[in-house]
This record gives sequence, structure tokens and C-alpha cells, in this order.
Amino acid sequence: MNFKIRRAAKEDCKDISRMIMELAVYEKMPDQVKISHEELERDGFCQNPFFECLVAEVPEEHKSNEGFTIIGYALYFYTYSTWKGRAVYVEDLYVMPEFRGNGIGTGLLSKAAEIGKKKQCVRLQLSVLNWNTPSRDFYAGKGAQDLTVTEGWHTIRFDGQNLDKLANEAPKD
Amino acid sequence: MDFSIRAASLDDCKDIMRMIMVSRHVRAARNLEQDGFSKNPFFHVVIAEVPEQHRTKEGHTKIGYALYFYSYSSWKGRSIYMLDLYVMPEFRGKGVGKALMSKVAQLALAAGCHQLNFTVADWNKPSMDFYLSQGCFDVTASLGYHCMRCEGEALEHLAQP
Repeated sequence: MNFKIRRAAKEDCKDISRMIMELAVYEKMPDQVKISHEELERDGFCQNPFFECLVAEVPEEHKSNEGFTIIGYALYFYTYSTWKGRAVYVEDLYVMPEFRGNGIGTGLLSKAAEIGKKKQCVRLQLSVLNWNTPSRDFYAGKGAQDLTVTEGWHTIRFDGQNLDKLANEAPKD
Repeated sequence: MDFSIRAASLDDCKDIMRMIMVSRHVRAARNLEQDGFSKNPFFHVVIAEVPEQHRTKEGHTKIGYALYFYSYSSWKGRSIYMLDLYVMPEFRGKGVGKALMSKVAQLALAAGCHQLNFTVADWNKPSMDFYLSQGCFDVTASLGYHCMRCEGEALEHLAQP
């Protein structure tokens, strides 16, 4: 199948937002999506963007049932290791179901890795749900290690009221 | 015990590198100074400092740090990731770790962030207990997310155009 992987432009944010919701539905947490295309436009296309994004595009003749030509995306940002230096964190990787099995997911992930490599990133990291076997197999096939299984890593989070409370307890300047 | 928490500056780099080496048993990346203290830093640091009269045997007054950077959640927007939180052993149990973490949370909210994330190994019970007691939740245990990494040869292969 003919497809193109390119850097997202601001105008792509509506499509990216649509696919973010599709991915959240797949992960069984659609009620957790709180941001829209407006936040993506603001945070991804400012002077010091919080993230970068790649989109996968197909020609008009291959558009989806609903008429979309932007049919996959990878949203990533740069992280840091005090030992190894810069790394890439792939926050989302998604291809619409009807376009899977054509190498598009691999194309998106590889492009993110290539971009990271040009910026001297030595690691690529991401999260995957433990029940998401197709994705776990996909990443294992790319040589990714599961640090939760091998080293016991857990992601810990403060948000909502707990984050507010923690911040309120900061020493006064 | 009297201590202060403040944003780190270039002058603090040597102390930060000293504490990274002690806390992680690794030498910090060669470019730490450039990576953290240039015009567009890859990370930020807050430092805990004690007055001269409480300095360590070796004469250090900078006795703890938290290293963090901005990240993003496609569901919640701007976030902060706290990579390191460290207090020298002789200064623990006095609220310094909590104060460092609170300062990062405060900076997170000021920057419009809605999440503060970090990673803890499940076998590290003292740390896990400390964080859970502060009101965070274990995303891996409760939602089932696993942390994955690609590096070395696997990453080289993946990055082939």
C-alpha cells in the first residue's frame, strides 16, 4: 500500500485529536481524554514545543471509509537520562485498524527512532498495556525490553487533587 | 533542621554531578552541564541547601536535588517527569525529599502541567511507601502499563531509514 510518513503540521491536529480518541477507545479509557486539537496546536507548534508528531498519509484513492487520508500517527518527545543523555519517548503510536498490516506502524516508529538518532538519542522508550498482546508482540519483535518485567519498573503519578496538595506543601520562597 | 529549596544554576553543576554519582553509582553524562544549563535545557534541577553550620564532614552544603523535564500526555496535555529525587543519607527523615518533590509539583502547576510522573522499582519498598504516602498512584499496578525500552543494536536497526 502506498503511504507517506511526514512531520505533522499544525493543520493536522484535528486528525491527530481524532486518532488520539480512537486509541483511547482501543485502550478502554475514552473518558480519560481531556485535551482537544487546540491544546495540541498550542503545545506542539510553539517556540519550545512539548512534543513532536509524525503522521502517516495515504493518497485519496486509499482514503478510509469515512474519507480520512491521515490514517496513523506517532507522538513523541525528548527525555533525559543522567547516565546516557538524551532519549526519545514515544507517547502514542497508532494506525487505524483498516490500514494495519502494511508496515505503517513500523514506518512511524522507525522514523521517530531515526529523528532521535540524529539528535544523539541513545534510547527509545514507551509504555504498553499488559493485556495489549498485539502491541507487546510488535515491540518485542523490534527488540524492546519490558523493564517492568525485567527490572520491576512502575510508573507512578501525581495528578488532580493529589498534585494540587503536593504543590501547596512546597516551602515558601 | 533549617534548609532551603531553590532552582539550580550553573554553579551547582559540580554538586549535582557529585550527588548523581553517589545516588546512581554512575558517572553523569559528559554533557550534563551543557544539557542542563544552556539556552534550551533538556532538563531542570531544584537543589536543597543547608546553612554552613550544618554542612557535611566533607564541607558540602548542597545536600539533595530533584531533576525533572517537561513531557506530554496525549490525553491530559503538559506533564512533568521527575527523573531523580535524592537526599544525602545523613539528611534524610527531615522533610527534604518531600520539600524537593513539592517544589517540582509547584513548578509543574505553574507551567500548566496536569501530571507529575516518575518511575520506581517495585522492589524499592522504602521509596514506594514514601511516594504512595504522599498521595500518588501506581499507574503500572492499577492500569497495567509496562515500561518498554529499545537501545543499542535494536535501536540502530529500528532507526534504519
